[in-house]
Amino acid sequence: MRLNILIGGKAGQGINKISEIVSKILIKQGYFVFNYRDYPSLIRGGHNFNILSISEEKVGSYQSGLDGIIALDQKTIILHKNKLKKKEFIIDSKDFETFGRNLNLALAGALIKILGIDRKNLMKQIKKEFNKKEALSAAEKGFTSQKNRFNLKKRNNNNIIIMTGSQAITQGAINSGINRYLAYPMTPATEVMHELAARQLKNNENNLLVFQAENETAVVNAALGASFSGAKTMIGTSGGGFDLMCEGLSLQGQSEIPLIVYLASRPGPGTGVPTYSSQADLNLALRGGHGEFPRVVVAPGDPLECIEKTNEAFYLSEKFNSLSIILSDKHLAESWFSFNRKPTKALKLKVSRKIPGKEIVKASSYEHDGKGNTTEDAEITVRKARERLLKYEKIKKECEKFEMIKIHGKKKSKNLIISWGSTKTVILDAIKDLDYKFLQVLYLKPLSDQVKEEMKKARKIILIEQNVTGQLGRVIREKTGIKIRQRILKYDGRPFSSDELRTEILNIKK
Amino acid sequence: MSKKIELRTKNEDTWCPGCPNHSILESTKRVLAKLISKGYRQEDFAMVTGIGCHAKIFDYLNISGIYGLHGRVLPTALGMKLGNPNLTVLGFAGDGDTYAEGMAHFIHAGRYNADMTLIVHDNQSFSLTTGQSTPTTQQGYKNKAEPLGEFNNPLNPIKLGLASGMSFIARCNARDIEHTAKILEKAVRHKGFSFVEIIQDCLIFNLEVNNKDDLMYKISDNKSKDEAERLAEKWDYNNKQGQIPLGVIYQEKKKTMEEKWPQLSALKNRKLLK
Repeated sequence: MRLNILIGGKAGQGINKISEIVSKILIKQGYFVFNYRDYPSLIRGGHNFNILSISEEKVGSYQSGLDGIIALDQKTIILHKNKLKKKEFIIDSKDFETFGRNLNLALAGALIKILGIDRKNLMKQIKKEFNKKEALSAAEKGFTSQKNRFNLKKRNNNNIIIMTGSQAITQGAINSGINRYLAYPMTPATEVMHELAARQLKNNENNLLVFQAENETAVVNAALGASFSGAKTMIGTSGGGFDLMCEGLSLQGQSEIPLIVYLASRPGPGTGVPTYSSQADLNLALRGGHGEFPRVVVAPGDPLECIEKTNEAFYLSEKFNSLSIILSDKHLAESWFSFNRKPTKALKLKVSRKIPGKEIVKASSYEHDGKGNTTEDAEITVRKARERLLKYEKIKKECEKFEMIKIHGKKKSKNLIISWGSTKTVILDAIKDLDYKFLQVLYLKPLSDQVKEEMKKARKIILIEQNVTGQLGRVIREKTGIKIRQRILKYDGRPFSSDELRTEILNIKK
Repeated sequence: MSKKIELRTKNEDTWCPGCPNHSILESTKRVLAKLISKGYRQEDFAMVTGIGCHAKIFDYLNISGIYGLHGRVLPTALGMKLGNPNLTVLGFAGDGDTYAEGMAHFIHAGRYNADMTLIVHDNQSFSLTTGQSTPTTQQGYKNKAEPLGEFNNPLNPIKLGLASGMSFIARCNARDIEHTAKILEKAVRHKGFSFVEIIQDCLIFNLEVNNKDDLMYKISDNKSKDEAERLAEKWDYNNKQGQIPLGVIYQEKKKTMEEKWPQLSALKNRKLLK
């Protein structure tokens, strides 16, 4: 069983609240949900929609055919009607005009009835969130206005939770003992700033302080200052802000002050398509910053991996006084995923390096000797360059303790799909019943030697990415000498739907 | 318990012979020695330097710090205070550094009012890159990048500091070691952001602006905004006319960044972060 329901309207009408209420009720009924958010760059008006996908099994994508539309305006119906399947329904807000500000709650109530879930579950959720007479009444009236269509019975899946990638990055940072987060607002990275800012001064969480600086150059340099002082420090941005931060990444490489960067990507170049999704900043993450210095680039594919890999990024940075970049995108950052596995236990990390206040310690942007004094000496220059190389080898060895890749699907299949980041969950949905193995690359730098081993075992290899040049393919070719000829690339800013991706995979014959 | 305080490292000094940067180093050492004798801990000082001739001071001072990037003294120093508000942070920067590459940070420093000190070595020239003009260079200055001469008027950093809401603004003459040390001490002791502009001749580039000592006069500490604005107007950085007041041009009590953030207040006088 899988349902896809589109909820659309103008920005500001509360469509996210409908998705949220219905999702929260559904997970308590033992259903997995996935919610995709599609919105243009404006605050009021326009056309926003969510696609809520509901399944008895784990689900991490939407399908192109719709089982129903909840329309908060007429534009929603006009734009999406042609995607409805046969047993469709449309709930038109025209029939709900009396509800005013509570329109979205009435529509949530209506959808709950259509799905066939008991009234008491609806009322419990509304009461928990609002506990206002008008809210309860709106939800109830919406509920009674509809008929049960899908008859979703309670299922035996316990402890399902919903999370966005942003919330999960936040959780991973908190688990790692983050003290300072610095950022300048930029979609789609801003949610992490908001989430962490809301956690300040709560439960005395590591004296957490979230600071919005005047621009991204200030962010990255201030972050290095804070980290130098002994604070576990992370910064966050999207591609354009990351461009500005590159000078600081390079300073990190020379000064060896630990730094964690969260990069949530969106389609460029330039301002691009700012509220949509893309995997086009892998090259940037791998190479941004002048000079040659070690770094880790890790790309989680779902919220659980966001929690775990963020923790690893913190751990590696602190252990090696190095740069860790967590690479995500709008789709992972802002879509809602559900799961019922707990993240692995967080690695503990301790600041044991030299910090000012305890002793005299110097860090430098110049090539420098062991005490931090500037040098232009040829021998020391060579020695330091080699030390940075050696450090990368040590980092690589440490990374091997973690899951640098994951193998999904049919483990013995000769048909191999390779991908990374937010395409993970849609690939899992697309290949469910196919004879395919899926190699998910989590660490893009260092790249695991296992990638080549897996490729050697395969007869057919397909690269799937959400960019126009196949950037992971290039990395793999550079490291292994193997060019992947079959590629499925999407670069319209919208994530794959699982049925369309399945068709594209099946269309590739050899 | 008296241990020998070593404030100078053993590194070779690579400033030009006679460069007033030597005097700024001497003033700084005197302030540090005095503050340490009054109970400040040497380990609690931290400096940030930009890139330029001024920044070589990093190698000569035996205190903690980051030899940062060009233009980024202020954000780096601000970050240090965010990480540990108990540090006494000194930022050394150049005029090109602060007023060209780092201008956005300079303006915002007044808003944040972090309890730290910015010392600008202003020689009205990009000297380490062989003498191009900076935002405080006089109009008409011919240099290798602008053979037709600098077209634009200089900006007045004192006026800008006042407009940006800085809570401590002072000006010194690098050659007057004693007076500079006195003003620097006041700047460090001031609770909030302190901006000290030091007029410093470069002996190699833009020589025509040098030797303004005759125009300089010392003022007593001023706390009036109106008077500060009058003092700032007395010299426009464009020529060797008018008067150049030295001393504390403006000072006010204002809530500091460390007082605004409960997280930082909580760390005051405590060891930082597990």
